Formats: sequence, C-alpha cells, structure tokens
Amino acid sequence: MEKPFEYDKSRQPANSAFKQQKLPGHYLRLTATAVLSIFFTTGLFCLCVGIILILSAKSTKKIEVNYTKLCADCHELRDDASKFRKACTCSIPFNLPEKMKGNVYMYYKLYGFYQNLYRYVLSRSNAQLMSKNIMDVHGCDPFKMSEDKIPFIPCGAIANSMFNDTIILSYNLHSSEHIQVPMLKYGLTWWTDKYVKFQNPVSSNLADQFEGSAKPPSWSVPIYELDRDDPGNNGFLNEDFIVWMRTAAFPTFKKLYRRLSREHYFKEGLPAGNYSFNISYITRFQGEKSVVLSTLTWSGGDSLFLGLVYTVTGALTWLSAFAIMAVYLMLKNRKENLSL
Amino acid sequence: MEREAGSSEDSSGSPGKPRRRRRRRRRRRRRRRWDGRTRAVRTVRSNLLPPGAPGAPDAAGRAEGLPGQRPRRPPRPRRACAQHLADNRLNTTKYTLLSFLPKNLFEQFHRLANVYFVFIALLNFVPAVNAFQPGLALAPVLFILAVTAIKDLWEDYSRHRSDHEINHLGCLVFSREEKKYVNRFWKEIHVGDFVRLRCNEIIPADILLLSSSDPDGLCHIETANLDGETNLKRRQVVRGFSELVSEFNPLTFTSVIECEKPNNDLTRFRGCIIHENGKKAGLHKENLLLRGCTIRNTEAVAGIVVYAGHETKALLNNSGPRYKRSQLERQMNCDVLWCVLLLVCMSLFSAVGHGLWVRRYQEKKALFEVPESDGSSPAPVTAAVYSFLTMIIVLQVLIPISLYVSIEIVKVCQVYFINQDIDLYDEETDSQLQCRALNITEDLGQIQYIFSDKTGTLTENKMVFRRCIVSGVEYSHDANAQRLARYQEADSEEEETVPRASTLSQRGSIGSHQSVRIMHRTQSTKSHRRTNSRAEAKRASMLSRHTAFSSPMEKDITPDPKLLEKVSECDRRLSIARHQERPLAHLSPELSDVFDFFIALTICNTVVVTSPDQPRQKVRVRFELKSPVKTIEGFLRRFTPSRLASGCSSGSLATKFSQKSGSSFLSNLSHDSIFDRLGQPAPALASNGYSSQASGTDGAEGPEGADGWSPERAQAPDRAAAAADPELRYEAESPDEAALVYAARAYSCRLADRLHDQVSVELPHLGRLTFELLHTLGFDSIRKRMSVVIRHPLTDEINVYTKGADSMLMDLLRPCSPDDARGRHQKKIRSKTQNYLNQYAGEGLRTLCIAKRVLSKEEYACWLQSHLEAESAVDNREELLFQSAIRLETNLHLLGATGIEDRLQDGVPETIAKFRQAGLQIWVLTGDKQETAINIAYACKLLDHGEEVITLNADSQEACAALLDQCLQYVQSRGPYSAPENTESNVSVGFSPLYPASTSSASGPSPSLVIDGRSLAYALEKNLEDRFLFLAKQCRSVLCCRSTPLQKSMVVKLVRSKLKAMTLAIGDGANDVSMIQVADVGVGISGQEGMQAVMASDFAVPRFRYLEKLLIVHGHWCYSRLANMVLYFFYKNTMFVCLLFWFQFYCGFSASSMIDQWYLIFFNLLFSSLPQLVTGVLDKDVPADVLLREPQLYRSGQNMEEYQPRAFWLNMVDAAFQSLVCFFIPYLAYYDSDVDMFTWGTPITAIALFTFVLHLGIETKTWTWLNWIACGFSILLFFSVALVYNASCATCYPPSNPYWSMQTLLGDPVFYLTCFLAPITALLPRLFFRALQGSLFPTQLQLGRQSAKKSPKKLNTPQEIFAQGHLPGDPRTEHSQGRTLNPSRSLSNNCASCSPEARGEPSAVDTSVPLRENTLVEGLGTQAPGPSLLGEATSQDCPGDSKRKSTSAGRAAPLASLFNLPNFSSLNWASSLSLVSGLGSVLQFSRSSLQMDKQDDEFLASPPPSDQDLHGLQGQVSDYF
Repeated sequence: MEKPFEYDKSRQPANSAFKQQKLPGHYLRLTATAVLSIFFTTGLFCLCVGIILILSAKSTKKIEVNYTKLCADCHELRDDASKFRKACTCSIPFNLPEKMKGNVYMYYKLYGFYQNLYRYVLSRSNAQLMSKNIMDVHGCDPFKMSEDKIPFIPCGAIANSMFNDTIILSYNLHSSEHIQVPMLKYGLTWWTDKYVKFQNPVSSNLADQFEGSAKPPSWSVPIYELDRDDPGNNGFLNEDFIVWMRTAAFPTFKKLYRRLSREHYFKEGLPAGNYSFNISYITRFQGEKSVVLSTLTWSGGDSLFLGLVYTVTGALTWLSAFAIMAVYLMLKNRKENLSL
Repeated sequence: MEREAGSSEDSSGSPGKPRRRRRRRRRRRRRRRWDGRTRAVRTVRSNLLPPGAPGAPDAAGRAEGLPGQRPRRPPRPRRACAQHLADNRLNTTKYTLLSFLPKNLFEQFHRLANVYFVFIALLNFVPAVNAFQPGLALAPVLFILAVTAIKDLWEDYSRHRSDHEINHLGCLVFSREEKKYVNRFWKEIHVGDFVRLRCNEIIPADILLLSSSDPDGLCHIETANLDGETNLKRRQVVRGFSELVSEFNPLTFTSVIECEKPNNDLTRFRGCIIHENGKKAGLHKENLLLRGCTIRNTEAVAGIVVYAGHETKALLNNSGPRYKRSQLERQMNCDVLWCVLLLVCMSLFSAVGHGLWVRRYQEKKALFEVPESDGSSPAPVTAAVYSFLTMIIVLQVLIPISLYVSIEIVKVCQVYFINQDIDLYDEETDSQLQCRALNITEDLGQIQYIFSDKTGTLTENKMVFRRCIVSGVEYSHDANAQRLARYQEADSEEEETVPRASTLSQRGSIGSHQSVRIMHRTQSTKSHRRTNSRAEAKRASMLSRHTAFSSPMEKDITPDPKLLEKVSECDRRLSIARHQERPLAHLSPELSDVFDFFIALTICNTVVVTSPDQPRQKVRVRFELKSPVKTIEGFLRRFTPSRLASGCSSGSLATKFSQKSGSSFLSNLSHDSIFDRLGQPAPALASNGYSSQASGTDGAEGPEGADGWSPERAQAPDRAAAAADPELRYEAESPDEAALVYAARAYSCRLADRLHDQVSVELPHLGRLTFELLHTLGFDSIRKRMSVVIRHPLTDEINVYTKGADSMLMDLLRPCSPDDARGRHQKKIRSKTQNYLNQYAGEGLRTLCIAKRVLSKEEYACWLQSHLEAESAVDNREELLFQSAIRLETNLHLLGATGIEDRLQDGVPETIAKFRQAGLQIWVLTGDKQETAINIAYACKLLDHGEEVITLNADSQEACAALLDQCLQYVQSRGPYSAPENTESNVSVGFSPLYPASTSSASGPSPSLVIDGRSLAYALEKNLEDRFLFLAKQCRSVLCCRSTPLQKSMVVKLVRSKLKAMTLAIGDGANDVSMIQVADVGVGISGQEGMQAVMASDFAVPRFRYLEKLLIVHGHWCYSRLANMVLYFFYKNTMFVCLLFWFQFYCGFSASSMIDQWYLIFFNLLFSSLPQLVTGVLDKDVPADVLLREPQLYRSGQNMEEYQPRAFWLNMVDAAFQSLVCFFIPYLAYYDSDVDMFTWGTPITAIALFTFVLHLGIETKTWTWLNWIACGFSILLFFSVALVYNASCATCYPPSNPYWSMQTLLGDPVFYLTCFLAPITALLPRLFFRALQGSLFPTQLQLGRQSAKKSPKKLNTPQEIFAQGHLPGDPRTEHSQGRTLNPSRSLSNNCASCSPEARGEPSAVDTSVPLRENTLVEGLGTQAPGPSLLGEATSQDCPGDSKRKSTSAGRAAPLASLFNLPNFSSLNWASSLSLVSGLGSVLQFSRSSLQMDKQDDEFLASPPPSDQDLHGLQGQVSDYF
C-alpha cells in the first residue's frame, strides 16, 4: 500500500465515551446499605430538627383575642348604613398569665377574608403607589374613579378594603391605672416596600399633591390623613397601608399591626397581668377578627407545625427503615434456611 | 442471477412513496396502456436548432395531434421552454425567504397540539377570562414555534447549501455560439442540450446517449448512487448513431425525440427518435444515462438531455424521510387525552366551586369582593363560566406543551447516538447504520415479530461455487469445501488482528440529503496483490468491492481433481483436433458435455472483464484480420441482420476481428490465419492468467500450470502486454454469475474478454477461443433463466447456452425417446442430476442447471426474424422479447448443474439465538425453494434439529383448510405439554397426540412451521387466516418459502393487524420493499442488491447481525428512556398543576395562582426541562453488555412494562400525593403567618423544583457528570433567574410584584426548612416502594442492573465468600456479600427472586436447549419423564449436598460456572430448588458429550466467567433494594 489509510475519510464514528454512550457514570444502587443509611440518617436529621423546632416553638408565647363577638355591638352598628360613620369603640380586657419575653408583635387576624382572589389581587396600581404617576389608575378595576370621574387615590380593590380598625393595647398596672402600652408603627414592612415600592410624591404638603383625587369609597379618611402626626408614616408610606397592600396568601391571615416598644415597664417584654384592647371598630366585615400578641422564634414563625412535621417525618422514615430491615432480615433468614 | 421470485416485478414499484400515489400512478399507467396513441409524450429536440429549422413545423403538427404533448419550440428554446420544462437546477428547499414564515407556521399548525396551545394563549387576550398577561401567555407557544421554525430553517438552509453545491458542479455543454463544448454549471443545463461527459464524471441529468468513444457505441455506468448496485451497467448509443463515422456533431442533430413524461421508474424508458427523414427508431432504457450515475470504462460520451432537474428519474425516486407514529406515542396521545379530561374535570370543579362561593358572598357584599365595573356583584353562573375558562388557562400546563418538543429533541439525540455507535459500523463497507425515520426509535424496543428475508439478509449474498454435476456425474469438490472451512476459521481468528481499515477510495458526499448520494470516487490504483495474509486479502476485497462481488473466498476455487482431469483432456484433444472438420466429435459425449459445460459457465452471463492495473479500461484485445474475412464479414452481415445495429456500412467494421464464417472453408481459412498469427500468444496469455492464479493460491495450481507453458511466455512479450495483468477482474450483475466464472477459471477455462459482440475464452491448450455473441437474453424472474446465443468457433455451429433454475429448465429439455440408447442414457443422466439437485437443495445450496441447444442455420434465421421484430417494436417490446426468448429456449440438452453456496452472514445464528431469547418471533419469508430455505433455517439455528417441523404443503384451498385444522388440533393437543422425545420428522399429515396429558407444567419447544407459497396463498384467504395465525402463533418460528413480495407484505400486515403486535421487517432486495413498508419498523440491509429496500426502510443496517445491538441495546434503551421520560413528564405536569388546584380551595376557586406567572410559564420550559432531557437522552437502565448477555431483558419493552396504563395512573396518584405534600407542608408552615401570596408561592415553586429533580434522581438509573450538571444547572438557573427577576423592576410584573421576594426568602429560615422537608416527605413513599420492590419483587431489569454493577468486581478471592451473616448496615459486609459465589444460593435465589413470568416459561428464557439433553438428563436423574420432575429429583438430593458444598465453597465456585452455561439455564429456571453440584457436573459431562457441532460452541456467546458472575449476582437479589 503506497499511502496510509485515510482514516479521516472513513465514516467510522469516533470512539469517544460520549458518542458511544460510555460516559463514566454510576448506577443508582439501591443496596441495603445505601437505602438503610439514607433512611436512618434522614430520619435522624428530621427528628433532631423537629425536636429543636418544637422546643423553640414551645418557648414562644402567643395570645389571641377574637373580638368579633366581643364587639358585636359595633358590628351590628355597621350594618345600619345610616350609622355607618359613627364611631364605635369597644374595650376587651384580658389576662396575660405569663410574661412575654423579648420582642412582642401585635397582629390583627382576619378569618375568611379572601385577599387572594384573582381579580382582587390584580386590582392595584403600582405606578400610583410609587408616585410615578399618582393619577395612574390603570389596572384598578373596578375602583378606578369615583362616579364623578375623579380617580381614587389609592385606587383598586385592595386599597379600598383596607383594614382600618384601631387597636390600642393598654396595661392595667393597677386596678385603676391603665397605661397604654407603647407600640411602634415602624419596622412592620419589608424595607424594600417602604423605600422602593411605595413612595409619596415629593412635596412638603401631601394634601396638595393628592389634590384632585378621591378617597376610596370605603375609606373614612383620605390617604394623606392616614397618620396626621407623622409625615414619614403618612400617605403611601403608611406602614399599615403597606402591610395591607401585601395581599395575604390564605383567607385566614394575620398581619403585623404594631410591635412593642421596649421601654419602661416593657423592657423585658410584656409583663404578666391584666391588659385590655381598645378597639375602634371601623371596618364592617362578615368574617371574624382577632388581635394576636406573640413573640417569635429564631426561625421566624411561632407555630408548632414545622417542628411536628419534622418529627413525624423523621419517625416515619425510621419506621420505613425498620420495615425495610425486617424484610431484609426475613429474606436473609429464608435464604439461610434454604441453604441449611 | 437466481434472485428470489418476483424480484424484478416489484422493482417497478416506487419505494418510499405513499401508497396512494403509487396507486394513482398505476392507474395512470393502465390508462396509458388503454389508449396507447394518446398517451402523454414529451418531445425533445435540439436546442441548437435555429428558429424555423426543419422539423419544427413537423413537430408542431404532431403536437396538435397528440394531446398533452408539450412541443418544444425551436426559437430561443431556452427562454421559451423555461415555463414548461424544468431546467437542471436542483431546488429541494421548502421555503423561500418570503414564504418561510407563513408556510412554516401553516405547517406547524397542522399539529393539533400547537393549535390548542395557541388557542389557550389567545383565550388569554379575552379580558374576562385572562389568567396571565396576554403577552406572557403567548411566550411559550411562540418559543416552541420558534424552536421548530429554527430547526426547519436550519434544515432548509443545509438543503439549500447542498443544492447550491450540486447546482454549481461543472460539465461540458455544447454551445451554439461557440460551436464547441464549453464548461457550464449543472444548473444551466436544459432539456435539449448536448452534454459531453468524460470517464468518471457524474451524469448531471437524464441523458440520451448519442455517441460514445467506444467503437461499439457502448458506455458503462455505475449506478451505485442510484440503486447501490456496484456492478457496471452497459448503456448503448441510440440505434442509428453508433455507426456514425466521424465524431458526433450536435449541430447536425435534427431528429426529434419522443419519450415518456418524466416518471420515477428506473427500470423503464420508452420512446422513439424520429429522424429528419421520417425514420423512427425505438429508444429503451439501455439508451438512457441516469442522473447521479457515474461514467466508467468509457473515455467520453455525448448525449442530449431528455429530463433535467426534478424531472430526472433519480430525483423523482427521491422521497424524503418517512414519518411514522410510534406505538409509544400513540399510547402517549391516549394519556394526553386523559390529561385533557382531567383538566376539564378540574376546571369544572373549580367553576362549580367558584359559582357556589360567589353565591355565598353575594348578599353579604363582602369587602374583598370585586364587583363588576358597574358596581353590581357578578352573577354566580357567569362567574363560574369565566372561572372555568380561566382555570383552563391556568392549568394548561397539564397538557405538556413542551412534551412534544422534548420528545422530538430526545429522539433526534437518540438517532444521533445510534448513528454514532461504533459497533454498528461496518468496516468492510465503510457504512454505518442509517436512521431514515427519525421518530420511531422506541419502537425498536418493542418488536415482537421479525420478518426476515433470506437471501442477502441472513446470507451474505456472496456466492461460492461448491459442487457441480456434469453429465450426471457429481463432483463434490471436497478440497474446496475444506478450503472454505479454513477461510472461515481464519476469518474469525484474523478478525481481531485486522487493523481498523478504512476505505481507500476517496469519497466526498455532496448533497447527503438526497437519497441518491453523489459520490466522487477517484480511481484506486492499488494493485491487487495477493499475499497469504488474510488481512491483506480482506482489505483487498474491500477495495474490489466497489467493482465486483469477488472476495478471495469466491475467487479461489480448488478444482476437483477428477473434473480437472477431464477438462484438461478435452482441452488437449480439442487442441489437436481443432483443425479437423468436427472437432467436438472427437470427444466422447461426456467429455463434450464437460467442455460445453465450462464454456457455458464462462460465457453464459453478462460479466464484464476489467483489469485492476487499468481499472477503468476494458481489456481490449482486438484482433485485426486482413482482407479474407472482410468479405465473410459482409456475408455475415447479410446473414445476421441483427448486427446491422452495431455497425453496418461503417469503416470501423473492418477493424473488427471475428472468427465467424459462413462455411467450413472459411472457417478453416480463418482458423489458419488466426492460428498463424495468434497461435503463439494465446497460450502465453493462458499461462499468464494461470500463473497469476498460481501466485494467488497454491491450491489453484493446475497440473500443467507453469511447467508446460512457461517457456513460451517469454516468446510473446508483445501480446502479453495487453493481458499481462496479473489478474482480470470480473464485474457481474449478480454474485452467482461471478462465482460461476471464477469456478470456470479454476478449471483453466478463463473468461478473457467480453465485448458486446464477442466473448473470448482462454484455455491452456486451445488458447484463446473467441465466440461471436449473437444475442444475450437477459435474466428475468419469470423465466428464471438466461441464455446466450453464440457461434461456436470450433464447430461453427450456432449454440444456445441456457442457465437457469432447475425447476424451469428441467421442463424445457428435449424429450428423450426411451427407445434409443442415447435417449435412455440421457434420461438416466437427468434423473441422476435431479437427485443430486435435490441433495444440493437439501444442503442449502443454490442450484443452477446448465443446458445447451444447437440451432441449425434455418432455425436460427427463423427465430431471428421474429426476434428482430420484437426488438424493434415500440409497444409491448418487453412482452414480445419475452415470447421470443421462450421460443428459443426449448429442446435443450442438459449439460449439468452447479451448486452454489450462499454463505450465511457472520453472526446470524448467534443473532437469531439472541432474538429467540429476547422473545422475538422470527419469521423467514423467502422466495427460495423449500428445501434450500429449510436448510438455511437449520444453518442459522432458526430451526433446531431437536424440534418438530410442521410442513404445510397444500394443493388446494380445501386441503389447506384440512391441514390447518389437523395441525391446530395437534398443536393444541400437545399444547402445554412437552414432547420430550426428539421428533425430527417433518410432520405433514395425520398427527396424533404423542403424549397424553400430564401434570408437567414445563412445555418443550414449540414446533416450527414451514409453509410454501401456494399454501400460504390459501392460508391468507379470509376464511383461513385466523386459523393460520393461530397456528403460527403457537409455533416457534415460521418459514414461508416461495413467497411473492405481495405475500410477504400480506403476512406482515396480517400479523400486525390481527395480533396487534409490533412487527419488524428486514430485507435487502426490491422484493422486500412492500414488506418493509407495511411493517411497523422496516429495516433495509444496505448490501449489494440495490438500494430499493434501503430507500423504503426506516433503518438501514449494513449487516443482519447489527440488528442485534440495534434492537436489544438501542431499542431497549430508546424505549425505556422515552417511556420513562413520558411518564415523568406526565408526573411533573400533574404534580405542578395539582399544586395550583389545591390552592383553589383557599382562594374561592377564583383561578388565582400563588405561583408567579413567570415561574408558571417558564417552569416547564426552562427550569425543569434540562435534567429530564439529559436523562431521556443518556440514561441507561441496564448497561449494553448485560443487555446483550441477557437478551430476555428485551421482553420488558415488548410487554410495555415501563409504560403501561397502570404505570401511568400510579404515576398520577403519586403526583397527586406529592403535590399534596408539597402544597400542605408550606401551607401549614406558613399558616397563621403574615406571609403574602407570592412570597408563599415562591417556596412552593422551589419545593416543586427540588422534588422534580430528586424524583428524577430516583428514576435515573445511571448518573453521569452530565446528569449532575443538568440538575445543578436547573436549580441554579431557577435561583439566579428568580433573583435577577425579583430585583429587576419594582412596579412591573403585576400582579405578583415580586420585588425582592426571593432575596427576602433567602433570609428566612422557614424557607430552607420547608424546602428541605417537603421534597423528602413527598418522595419518601416512592423511595420506600422502590426499595422494597427491589428486594421483594425485582423486575428482570433490576436484576440485570444489579448484575452489571458487580461485573468489575468479579475477580474475588474465595476467602470472602462466607463473610455474610453480618447485620446489614455494615458496608464492608455488604460488599463481601455482593461477592459471594455460592452457587446453591445463587440458584435458589434465582428461582425465588425471578419474576413468575420467567419461571413459568423456561423455554422462553433459553430456547436453545436441545431436547435430547433433557431426555438424557432424565435417564441420569430419575425415571420420571419431564424436566419438572428433574427439579424434584434434585430437590431431594439438595439438602445434603448443599451442606457439603457450603463447607467447600471455594470448590463450588468453579462449579457454578459449569452450571451457568447458557444451555443449562433453562434447567436452572425450571428447578425450583437449588441444583446439586454433583448432578451439575454430571449434566455438564453429558452435555459436553452431546456437543453436536461447532456452532454449538459459538452459542456460548458470553464467556463463562461473566455468566458465572451474573448468576452469582442474581443470587444476591435480597441484598439489594
């Protein structure tokens, strides 16, 4: 042969691992060792995490006061349209048997309030809330404009249905002396909400800026009067408003209302004793409402659930691991019996 | 030559075309036949004619007379005809720049799924029901459409590129302006142009051959590009042009050509050429050069273009890839419908729920209620309807939009990998597997029935001359047989040492999209040197493959000494007697027969002689004679007017040598003169040829090879120059012909030269004999014979030599009178010959009879007259020629017969055995004789000597019915029971149940069925087909002999439709085309018998044995991958959609989704698609070597184990469960918290993604780095996209406003806690189930997988064997357990753990156990018959023995290897308890004593160690989960 074979001219496929599907790989081996060790370690881990979570959840304190019934009078008052605007306050005393240590958060909780309805969720105008264009009511159907074509500020169904009860917690220092528990209106929202997503128009006087707009039909005060005392908490920047605008995931939800300002008596948290909620009942609502006082765990929640699930999962994993082992031993015995 | 019956009738059919089109064409053809005169005609005239040239009005007139005719206007013909006749521009692109978008979209919307998705997306634009931002909803659909469009565009572009390349090939076209041939591009050629082609050029269009540099007006073309046939075909200059003295001048061409409209029939071309003077001459396919072929052996040719561009036959034959729908896809579509139903149910449920919810809150005027824009509350019913539509949009993911695209991608990748498999690459032909159908790869894994052709598929189609009968005497050629056996051994030995060879010929494929690949091949100038090295020879055969069928095996034939003696005696005597008046009379009748026999072998064919030194030059030794012959020539011309065609009145005539003469005087005269001039060189030539042989193999050395003639060799240097080549090469149309010519050469009767009018034969003593070839009546499949009419140079008689199938020829012999002694002798010879022929057929040889007829001049003249008429006829030419041939081929004198072996392809028996184990039923459908077919079937182990063969030969419908009933009765009566005794008899009629009912559950091998064509025709009748099928179903294998192509396809169709089975048809010839098209999967063998089968096929393999890996490995993988992927897809979508659905319970069924729209839309498309694609493409559930070792694993695909309705629903249930877990864990974790909707939705998305990936992880069997990367990439992609997306815009993306959600979540411990817990909890049941299933009821696949991973560890020390007994959990113990080799354990576990199916049908597990062994075993073991009792017997012995064994495990290990010989595995399976080592060794002994032939050894396909390993491993099933 005068010249070497021209290998490159051949149509022979390249003998590479990839092309020949011989890539190094390992087969998923469900060996007894592997399976059992996976099961046991996972179970162990879950049990540990579960116990830790349960313990930490146990350490949290939580008290919930459902004031739907307790403020039934106000509730009924709201049913009567003529007395709609009339103020109504009810006071609900309660006893805190143990003191709540650390940061205490006050939530309001609504039962059966569907903030996650498809059309409800859509009904807002982010551009307006950011003050890019406060007259932009695009997407706020059906609460865009009042009947005389004045745009609502804030527009939309979410804003319109804002929770506007006022809850004041007072501490019965003595049988007669009631101290209003100092509560913070700040730090209730995400930082980005307060400083990016919600912006007031740049102006010294909010009311001027919101000139030519209407307040939402259900609101008793216009947007610029949400917090008359504190301009940093007024208008779109009102933290209660911001919290409300973050639509809850479930029909039963709680929203952060206030957090304890740890000063004077309350440096350590809420001391045990008698307290009362003074609620000015404004929102007419079919579902139930409550106020929740709670401390948080390191994990951010206050529920036992995660810990329980972890424990249960861990236990189940161990159970199945034992089942597998039993089967394995059974087979092995049978095998030995056969071979003997 | 003896192709299977009907091979050529079918070749007219168009392979690969939709049937409807074929039918239409057939109808058209029929119509054409009816009104012969008004048929559509194309008229072609020269483009060079000036306007108003003569002939133009003429043509116009004719055009009026012939409707449908397209007259070619002479003035500026190129412009004028551009509208009518295609130019040669190749344009296979589908789209133009402008038409791409609309046309592509239009095509894509043919797919229903696309329409559905677009509908959903458009629904989103309706404000009342929209669920997403309208633009966003359109995105995935657009993405899918765009991907497909880009794929189409790219395909189209590559087509365009290759078109461009082809269009710009150059060729010489005659230019009117320049009056000479100028170089033009192919695309510039028009109909009517004159084209000049040189040797080795590719023909640019269909060209009518008008001139050739060959003096005989011949031209050779190679049609390999067109039909794959590698031999040279002869083409002839149009009659009337060959005799032109000067070179053909296009300017003088004024004739008009009328021919058929363009059609795709490669084998037919009809038309006529009308000269200016009104004379007409017929045109036929011999005159047409087809586009894509290559000019060979001819210096230059010229012709006029008749069809160009897309009207050429080559392009009309070119059909694109086929689209079939695979079974899996059908099943999948059914499940998609279930999903649709599910979707509708969910939406309906939601709608009702929403209606109720709205009604509940209607009166209360809830604060959160969003009233209509007019302030009114929505009516519950309207709200429900809207909700329904919105839900459909939200839950649309349930119908997996990306599923279709993913499947396409996966299939393309699978095809790529199959193509790339080096094991499917055939070195010898430098070809690999071709996947022509892109979308049925997974069908390969589900085949249940294989229908195979025999010749060329199971066999090599390489013919080797084996034995012959001459004049009633048989010559067995024992030495030859031994030599062949040696070759075979050498072949297998040499296999490994042969370096990886590649082709020597350069190829560059232009335009690979065309089925006609245009190859340019440079001539190989390598000499064909022969050395003793087989490797060399192999390479050489590769070299020569392109020009001839000859491998050394076929060429080197060791002559039978007796016969050789006789031949040389003839030769000697004739050389002495040649000057006398009747030389042949000096021979005894037998010797005369011998002589004629070899002459017939040598010349009765169409073999073309070439020499390797000048590969493309014909060996042209023209003998020139002076004046005396000239007159004779003239006389002869007159006498044989047929030769007018080749050269009347031409000057070149004089140069032609011929020994033909009209009288004995002249004959003598010419003989003298020839002898004077050529007497010397001729023997020299002969010896030359001879010595070349001698150098090749010493076996071929004749007795008087070198010694007698070597001195003279030196005397003839001049003559030798022409023929000094070491070896002539024979290019034959069929391998049989070449085999016969090589056989004759071995007897020194050497074909030296063939021109179209003469054949030269060289004999050692006689020298060169030149036979004037008067006619060649080619082979056709109806006559099954071919003949040549020659003038014998010695006797000057006109002889007809006929060669053909014995069944035909025996009837055509001259009746011999019983009175006459000679007649009686003849009769005896015939009966002897017939006996031998039967014997040959029994040995699986292909038989041919050789006969001769001597024609008197008058007879010849009479026949010639009619024949010439037939030849010149325009209509019905074929039919008339056929009649004419029949008239000639009568009253034949039998000379002898030959037996040619069609060797089995390598690895066929092994492959068939593997298929058997894999549970594939193999049917062989062949056109061959029953005996031959049965024999081949035995040879390739399709039939076993140990099993019954039911032969169905019926003469009538009733007989067939009766036979079928009898067979059925018999089969049913033996039914489940075994027939332990070896019944080798062919049971034809009258069965009685051999064995009464017994309790034995193990059945012996089921019988095989052999049926011949006629009975098959009856059996396929409507009323019998059910019975036939039922019978065939019971049979292990079915052999249909003498079946026509139509029957083949009918059988396939029947099995496909009635048994609802997956069928695969494999074949190599045109006669298999219909069968290939009908079957679910059609496989073509890209062999030597043309490309028609390949064109029609879905897959083309170079060899039968490649089918094994294609099916058992790739088919299994493809199926399992795709099945798992589809299931996974359904799971994934259901699970995802369920998450959304559960949420509806908490949002008043308002079609709200907690998952951000963007995640929702792109989740399937981007985040979770890559891992499953990688798994779908690369996952190997069982490695290739295990699949090949354990073919029974293939059954999982056949039974559709991986993708059953049950699997689908289980998957759905699992998906529902997982979604519940993945929904409620986050729900409860975040319950009673201040989480907002979309911040809560994001962890759910993440959890879903983790769950999907982990789920895939459990389902993935092989983890490669690609899987890791894909999974990692997916998760990374999700988080990075989420982070970027959540940081990108504070006000965009309503309603979710996800600004900074992800970032916040990443700081939330609950997020991590739920993301960890939910997937684990969700997957716990699946993992638990998998673990238990692996140990309690492992599937075969799992066993195979377990065996695979142990393979690398198979070398173990026996010390570790008893390390078991430790508690699990200790990894070290596990390993040692894994390595235990205790055979008793392994066997017992075998039975304990294998699936009941495998236990129930031992014969299916290993069907290769010869029954004799069983009976012997019975004798050894117990008195009780039946293998099941054997198990009992062994079980009695079991305890003691195994105890003993456990003390000597080291010794037991080798015994295991004895045990696990594949042939014994059926015993293993059958016995429910462990077998005893002692008995095992006895069995082993008995088995080895029973080894029948060496083929049995080959059965041990896998080496024992690995087997031992596997069985050892199967024992450890319980160690695995």
